[in-house]
Amino acid sequence: MSCGLTFRALRALLACLALASAGASAHASDERRIAIAVHGGAGVIAPAELTPEREASIRAALQAAVDAGYAVLEHGGSSLDAVTAAVRVLEDDPQFNAGRGAVLTHDGAAELDASIMDGHSLRAGAVAGVRHVKNPIELARLVMDKSPHVFLIGSGAEEFALAQGLTLVPNEYFRTPERERQLERAKQSERAGGAKTSATGTVGAVALDRDGNLAAATSTGGMTNKRHGRVGDSPIIGAGTYARNGVCAVSATGHGEYFIRLAVAHDICSLVAYRGLTLREAVREVLHVKLQGLGGDGGVIALDGKGSIVMDFNSPGMFRAARDSSGRREIAIYRDR
Amino acid sequence: MYAIAIHGGAGAMPRDRLSPEAQQRLRAGLQSALDAGYAVLERGGSSLDAVTAAVRVLEDDPQFNAGRGAVLTRGGTVELDASIMDGRSLRAGAVASVRHVRNPVELARLVMEHSRHVLLVGSGAEEFALEHGMSLVANEYFRTEERARELAIVRAGSRVSELIPVPGGTVGAVALDRDGNLAAATSTGGMTNKRHGRVGDSPIIGAGTYARNGVCAVSATGHGEAFIRAVAAYHVCLSVEQRGLTLEQAVREVLHERIGALGARGGIIAIDARGNAVLEFTAEGMFRGCRDSRGRNEVALFRDP
Repeated sequence: MSCGLTFRALRALLACLALASAGASAHASDERRIAIAVHGGAGVIAPAELTPEREASIRAALQAAVDAGYAVLEHGGSSLDAVTAAVRVLEDDPQFNAGRGAVLTHDGAAELDASIMDGHSLRAGAVAGVRHVKNPIELARLVMDKSPHVFLIGSGAEEFALAQGLTLVPNEYFRTPERERQLERAKQSERAGGAKTSATGTVGAVALDRDGNLAAATSTGGMTNKRHGRVGDSPIIGAGTYARNGVCAVSATGHGEYFIRLAVAHDICSLVAYRGLTLREAVREVLHVKLQGLGGDGGVIALDGKGSIVMDFNSPGMFRAARDSSGRREIAIYRDR
Repeated sequence: MYAIAIHGGAGAMPRDRLSPEAQQRLRAGLQSALDAGYAVLERGGSSLDAVTAAVRVLEDDPQFNAGRGAVLTRGGTVELDASIMDGRSLRAGAVASVRHVRNPVELARLVMEHSRHVLLVGSGAEEFALEHGMSLVANEYFRTEERARELAIVRAGSRVSELIPVPGGTVGAVALDRDGNLAAATSTGGMTNKRHGRVGDSPIIGAGTYARNGVCAVSATGHGEAFIRAVAAYHVCLSVEQRGLTLEQAVREVLHERIGALGARGGIIAIDARGNAVLEFTAEGMFRGCRDSRGRNEVALFRDP
């Protein structure tokens, strides 16, 4: 038919349009904002040291991690699943100091720490000093979901991993030639009297899902040339990781000892909850006033209950990325780019 | 003004299950720890030295779950955790899962003062202890007959509260010295029959221990997992500092609302910058004591003294 539509077809089309618009409006009112941010560590990353190829490769990895988490949220998944997925991608990428490619201790081994927190129930899980768990963030999640505990360390954490059916990997899995060279350089500078070791590359994620649930996760290999048994802020709930629905979710990176002493992640949330600061103001006060005052450096990614993302640092740069349902997509390394 | 408060654990400890002699021994143990810390303050010593001294006495006393007489893990060994914080500098030191350090609070203090770190765990912490001239002791040093019986009872499926051979729990101290410096310290063996590697709130700065000059010093005891999730010790301090709550209000809110909301119980001792001590608990009892330069000197076990 040249006019294109029978009466019946027209009625069907109208009904369909009505449904579609009803669906769209229902969608618009029901759909809550979803958002995710990830970091791959803050620290001294001199622009000169970062070749264009390396920079492109890091940006691609951050993109992959944020997209992996976002995909979970977009399919209606939980913020817990989203941060787990994003951190897993960063752990598997040897460019970051977590999982494969983690920095090496003084003894040349990788010792990994991770934590996760559910802002809905305030449940949390953390592991420290594990040497044979491919994805420490998954073990932290298992501690939270399948044990009465929050924090398991060392071989006890690995026994728990085995009991939960995780396969352990040899410590060599984590070691890369680049980290071996880094350790050698750190030892040389230590012998020369300069004991300062860098703590770059910790990874983390914060997310808000459709149900308004916040979650945070952090994973790290700690500091290059660290003493066996040294634990930083990453597995410490309240220091490196914290989440509370309606308030905020935070994952931190930097000089861990300072973050522990100031309970950085929890402090940011408390400034939002009790002093009525915006998330941006709270992060600014904790990083640029309190942390800087104590001499610590690093950065955080944070997300509030409305989906506002803040990524800030008092170091030269922080590998970071963010994505939300309002269309924000961002990948950056330095303050301005 | 100077002051000190201590605790020897909070928990389900029905008075009728503790003989008058046992109660007397506990009171004596608490009093001697309190006096050890107070003596430091009295002669002008620092709050850090005072809390270290008090906790050391409690660690050495097999009645309490710290140092000698600590509870046993599922594997029948002792794994100890401790932490300390200096309210003046906000420096802190902590150790977890050490098995051969006689006084874990002293190792935590060494970590604070002689390392660039805050938390050292396991054999790495013990290597550090050796490097700093500490002599290690056999794990058997910590083990007592009473704790072995307790482990057997728990393994047989009874609740600890039903038959308590040794009632004492996690220990801790908070102090204010003449210079206005606050300090806090906590030490524990954790939970009876705990999984190897399980760490509670005691060595977690912000959870089991926190101190900040001008605000307060806090040491907690109880269901450690809940205290970690609530960031309990730091939360008390931030409520005083950022929300203007009194120390008592801040402590009560954390215990009754935040810890309570997580279905858990425990106790907190805290002291503010003017030397006011708060010793509060939601469990049936908390072994505790406080002493100050205004003449307060008391030791108590249950809700009614």
